[in-house]
Amino acid sequence: MQTVVLFALLGLGSGAVIAGIALGVVLSWRGSGTINLAAGATVMVAGYVFWAVRTGFFGFALQTVPAIILTLLFMALYAVVVELVAVRPLRSASPLAKLVASMGVLLLTQALVLLIFGTSPLNSPSVLTSDVVSVFGVAVPEAQFILAGIVVVLAAGLAALYRFTRFGLATRAASESESSAALAGLSPNVISLGNSVLGHVATGFVGILAASIVGLSATTLPLLIIPALAAALFARFTSFGIACAVSLLIGISESLLYQASNESWFPTQNGSAVPGVQQVAEFLLIVIALWWRGSSLPLRGDLVERSLPMVPDQDRLAARVAPVAIACAVALVVLPSDFRQAVTTGLVATVLCLSFVVIMGYVGQLSVVQLALAGVAGFALSHLEAAYGIGFPLGPILAIAVATVLGVLIGASALRVRGVTLVVVTLAAAIAIEQFVFANPDWGGGQSGASVESPTLFGLNLGTDASFRGLDGSLPSPVFGLLALVVTVVLYLFVANLRRGDLGRRMLAVRSNERAAAAAGVNVRAVKIQGFAIASFLASVAGVMYAYDFRTVSANSYGTMSALSLVASVYVLGVTLVQGGVLAGFGAAGAVIPLILQTWVLPENRVSVYMQLIIGTGLLIQLRFCPDGLLVASATKRERRARASRAAKALTAVGAKPQGGV
Amino acid sequence: MTEPVLRIEGLTAGYGSVDVVRDVHLEVGKGEVVALLGPNGAGKTTTLRALSGLVKASAGSISMDGQDLTGLTPAARACRAIAHVPEDRGLFRGLTVAEHLRLGPRGERLDAQLAYRYFPALPHIADRRAGVLSGGEQQMLAVGRALARRPSLLVLDELSLGLAPVIVEQLLPVIRAYADESGCAVLLVEQHVHLALEISDRAYLMAHGAGSDSHDAAALRRDRSVIQASYLGGQEWTPTADREKERDGEMQ
Repeated sequence: MQTVVLFALLGLGSGAVIAGIALGVVLSWRGSGTINLAAGATVMVAGYVFWAVRTGFFGFALQTVPAIILTLLFMALYAVVVELVAVRPLRSASPLAKLVASMGVLLLTQALVLLIFGTSPLNSPSVLTSDVVSVFGVAVPEAQFILAGIVVVLAAGLAALYRFTRFGLATRAASESESSAALAGLSPNVISLGNSVLGHVATGFVGILAASIVGLSATTLPLLIIPALAAALFARFTSFGIACAVSLLIGISESLLYQASNESWFPTQNGSAVPGVQQVAEFLLIVIALWWRGSSLPLRGDLVERSLPMVPDQDRLAARVAPVAIACAVALVVLPSDFRQAVTTGLVATVLCLSFVVIMGYVGQLSVVQLALAGVAGFALSHLEAAYGIGFPLGPILAIAVATVLGVLIGASALRVRGVTLVVVTLAAAIAIEQFVFANPDWGGGQSGASVESPTLFGLNLGTDASFRGLDGSLPSPVFGLLALVVTVVLYLFVANLRRGDLGRRMLAVRSNERAAAAAGVNVRAVKIQGFAIASFLASVAGVMYAYDFRTVSANSYGTMSALSLVASVYVLGVTLVQGGVLAGFGAAGAVIPLILQTWVLPENRVSVYMQLIIGTGLLIQLRFCPDGLLVASATKRERRARASRAAKALTAVGAKPQGGV
Repeated sequence: MTEPVLRIEGLTAGYGSVDVVRDVHLEVGKGEVVALLGPNGAGKTTTLRALSGLVKASAGSISMDGQDLTGLTPAARACRAIAHVPEDRGLFRGLTVAEHLRLGPRGERLDAQLAYRYFPALPHIADRRAGVLSGGEQQMLAVGRALARRPSLLVLDELSLGLAPVIVEQLLPVIRAYADESGCAVLLVEQHVHLALEISDRAYLMAHGAGSDSHDAAALRRDRSVIQASYLGGQEWTPTADREKERDGEMQ
């Protein structure tokens, strides 16, 4: 009992950090209707900046108090920049676009922090007292209690601010109806900016204080957004008190879970506790929150009509696909080995990106679990082979089936959830799969990864080590690349054709208005499930191909941040267009574009961070200037021109003169 | 004549590339109640929304007390003492009646007592959220809130929407009384034509996005044919006939 209380108290510190992030999430939602995925990164930014000014990283070292003040000023400035770059330009955009923008901020800030401060975690100088109090004879740092107290006071202060001040009243009003607020003389822009600054400063303050307790790491801190989102969901993105209380409870539970993992009754594998239970618990918590607190967020009345990206027609498919396919085939034979490898990886990543096109572009559901599903398929393939001796072609078929079923299950658990909240579920699911499955020594690859045999059919090796070599005579063999090319072209045509068919039209109906679609006789649930099934299938195929491509599967290849980068790059190029999937695929880690950059442009060792930087920046620029995506913008322009010329032709055909004016 | 409170000249506005309102002229003077009448789709609401800045005007000018409003955001226009009660009443479901009467732009204090004086039913429901009020109560709150801002221009869009005629008959005279007492200029869009004309000094008719010249409300009350023509189409109604001819001349 005593240890339980002790560990519960030790969880207060991380609970307080989660609470700080959750408060920031609630403030962003109420201020501008953005689900701010970058709120976790706010803690990271504040922590690193404080560390830098406190320890003299920038050439000057300040005392604690001036350092805190300077950091908070920086956070206010950071909030203004984020607001002007990623929030204000998207006022008229769909909630999905707003969320993707916050994803861009997350990718960008994380890349910047990694580039400036390096990848290894830092020890921040402690701000709060380093005294300890004795609880049941065990020393507990006092700072834990102080931090938790500060967070509770912050939450109470914010609640009071919203309840009693004009600013709070105005925010509540504007979050209900922006047009009514504007007519009442309240400027939604100013309100949004105020909340953004408030949120970043509050979250940053908690981040500064907590950095010495939870540690400074650019890879773990941004992901604290997951438990924070769970807490915010319980609070319906509205109540500061509930968000804070749930966050503290999550922190305490995690600490208790950690303690329990040392107990004899806790499930173990090979003598150590099963990894990833905490992440699975967070995922389940989010699913529970969504079922319990209702299917949707409180509605926001935005000033401007929400617009969805256009979905251009798919015409002249063969003429478009053939040259690219032939070019790839030639490249697979002719190019030097590292480029052959990159082309193959690009083809595989294309299949993965096609799954985003289906689920995000056609059905309008933002799901980021695909890369994790690909990982599941890859690991399943490896284990089917190692444990049961099931090889090609039955092995990949089974692996794809397993991962597809899992994807459909995740989709089904989120059926009541639409659009924006879905990303929360899938993000949590992706991280849970990553920690619970991939890091598991038996089911996943553990630390080292699991190997995969090359596919053979009738004694013919189809893998990357086949005897037929490229022109320079080295590995990898073009055979697998050509196989991947065939699969990719088939799936590309399938997804492009989906857009033209009946199911595609139903998907688009669901995307633009679920209720209207249901009223028009579309079975919304069935369409969504089909969308999830197709997307999961595509992702699983990609996962199997990845496994064969590298002949090994490891948890790193399917990390959540890489998944976010992929989603972002598909979005930049045009999530509604298959061509966007292809380009994004060739820009994915290990594919052609990063290889070109790595070979000729960028310093060699950090190309993935630079790619993340480029994608994050590209995303923010694209959302600002052509919100539909780069390729979609040009495709719609072409379509419009074609329509105009058709109309002109029709006019001249009937002998009418084109008329001026309207 | 002295400078009118509101002057709209050659207003053209619409949604996307489609102009819904073309070349509309109207003026509202101090203490004057002016009705904007016309069938559905005539462009009345769009005119009001363009006036408040919710819709961007593509041509023409809108000025308050001689000052051009072009380029100002809706919030900035509201701060210029325009109180616009939109069709959906512009209330916030989660805020109480009392909170509505506290909610003003920075530096502006709402006169809650004024609202309570004109609508004596409001003080009794001061602590209720707007979302649970009846339609009539909501409309009282919407108008009361607008009055409490002591505007120099009050813009009312379809006060009667969803309300029983008996309630409309109570609401409209309040508007007239307020205009007389405070000298506030009132521009109202109304489907209950006869009720609107009873409290109005003048009226403009709209059809198919075009406006008419000013008509005297009393004359319109006496002679219904002009209004009938504007709703049903006919010879009696000429949409600002002179300007139309000018424009045709230019085009040829």
